[in-house]
Amino acid sequence: MLNHFEITFKSIIRDRIFHGIIFSALIFLLIPSVATLSMRQATELSMTLSLSLISFILLLLSLFLGGTHLWRDIERRYTYPVLSWPSSRSAYLVGKFSGIAAFIFLVALLLGGVAVLTVLITAGIYPPERPIVWNLFFLSIFFDACKYILIVAFAFLFSSVATSFFLPVFGSICIYFVGNASQQVHDYINAPATIGISSITKNMATFVYYILPNFSAFDFKINAVYRVPIQVSGVLMTGVYFVVYLCMVISVATLLFEKREMN
Amino acid sequence: MKALEIHNLVKIFKTKKGQSVHALNDLSFDVMQGEVFGFLGPNGAGKSTTIKTLVGLITPSSGNALINGVPVSTGTARLKVGYLPENPAFYDYLTPEEYLTYVARSFLVPVAEVPRCIEQTLKLLELWDARKRQMRSFSKGMVQRVGLAQVLVHDPDIYILDEPMSGLDPLGRSLVKNIILELKNRGKTVFFSTHITDDVEKVCDRVGIIVKGSLVAVNNVENLLKGGVEGYLVSLQSADSTLQNLAPFSVLRQSGTIFEYYIPKDGFNRFMELVIRSGSEVVLVETRRKNLEDYFLSLVK
Repeated sequence: MLNHFEITFKSIIRDRIFHGIIFSALIFLLIPSVATLSMRQATELSMTLSLSLISFILLLLSLFLGGTHLWRDIERRYTYPVLSWPSSRSAYLVGKFSGIAAFIFLVALLLGGVAVLTVLITAGIYPPERPIVWNLFFLSIFFDACKYILIVAFAFLFSSVATSFFLPVFGSICIYFVGNASQQVHDYINAPATIGISSITKNMATFVYYILPNFSAFDFKINAVYRVPIQVSGVLMTGVYFVVYLCMVISVATLLFEKREMN
Repeated sequence: MKALEIHNLVKIFKTKKGQSVHALNDLSFDVMQGEVFGFLGPNGAGKSTTIKTLVGLITPSSGNALINGVPVSTGTARLKVGYLPENPAFYDYLTPEEYLTYVARSFLVPVAEVPRCIEQTLKLLELWDARKRQMRSFSKGMVQRVGLAQVLVHDPDIYILDEPMSGLDPLGRSLVKNIILELKNRGKTVFFSTHITDDVEKVCDRVGIIVKGSLVAVNNVENLLKGGVEGYLVSLQSADSTLQNLAPFSVLRQSGTIFEYYIPKDGFNRFMELVIRSGSEVVLVETRRKNLEDYFLSLVK
């Protein structure tokens, strides 16, 4: 599995599309200037913009790496010799996935470092009224990376059965939107003020809510920017949710991939 | 001992329209250890399907296959197998050296031996000078050589090659044939598919012929070639007068004092007796026989 992990890592580093995506990180240079346009809360704006830019870059990476990596290996028949080797298909899939997941964490770490510099520059020009809580800032980036790793897992799930790149790429995009909206929809349906929705619809919506990913659980941007404390139990719950959901998606992906015919 | 065993293999594919396509029909044969077995068949006969089943890329609809007695469905069965796919493709952002390292590690080659194995293999396949180049710049022939290199690098006991000569120039083809013969001399088992009969004639011990998913013949190549002898082309150097003794046989061609005769297989001994009596000198004897291609065509038709 380590072998597949290493090769995946190497392939990402050498990919030109990846170079293009990382190039967009140069936008960080503009953040201090843009933040100064806000007469108040320049540091908060700088943090918001930094976290949003990191999120956007990670989204592009997860869609590009998750949606095309496994599918391309199958499409270009790179898998033929590799899957005839003694290691199992699940080791291949998990190895590749781990390579991409580790890469997303690494990029998040690097971009996080750049974001810290950006925020410090802004805070140096316009000192914030309240001190920055870096733990919350890093926690927000960490869980953002977790969210995109889940999207990669979904992309792998779709790739394990797909015969074209449409399903992994557009399926992952759909999961991204659905995952971001699922909590709001659930809250709306179950709000006391909501009327005219039958109990069957409510039960079905609740069932779907538990099946679909809930990405709002990973969103700690507000806490990071406005220094709103997070309870340890909440962080742990999110961590457990991430691990359990990830294991489930990857398990289904490996099961499907094991059955796939390499015609 | 049997290196490969295929028992009643059936593979049925479903098309998008729901139709069933029988790619393999009750296929059974064995390949013995140390044997070079040619798997011959026209395009679409089921050669690649059989091979993909052997290396675990396809699951048979029924029947089973064993490698060294271990079912192919288990990964450990392939630990001593080298597989070359038809028209292979490899991670083109890697160099041959990196790819072979990847292969060698996956086959658990001891770390200390990996560089030596890679150097030996790349030199054998004349890829040593290109070892640091990304494979995206390689020609089809070079990719095919990398394919053979990844088969050889971990020194397996069984070689399963799907059209190994495909895409190679005459030099490359000759190199591959020599490699197969060298493997045979080292007691390795080679199972390869092809639709070129000449390849089988040159290197195989046995040949299996598959047509429309069914095995129509398995034969010893040497016996096939011996059994196919139809006659001989004999060139004699002689004066006209001495040829009267050979009157029962007619001259096919004459060039100065050289006379060429075609002698059917059953008349050869009688002819040679007359030649000796006539005092003529035998310059050349060539065997005229049905080749494997004729045999193959007769089965396919």
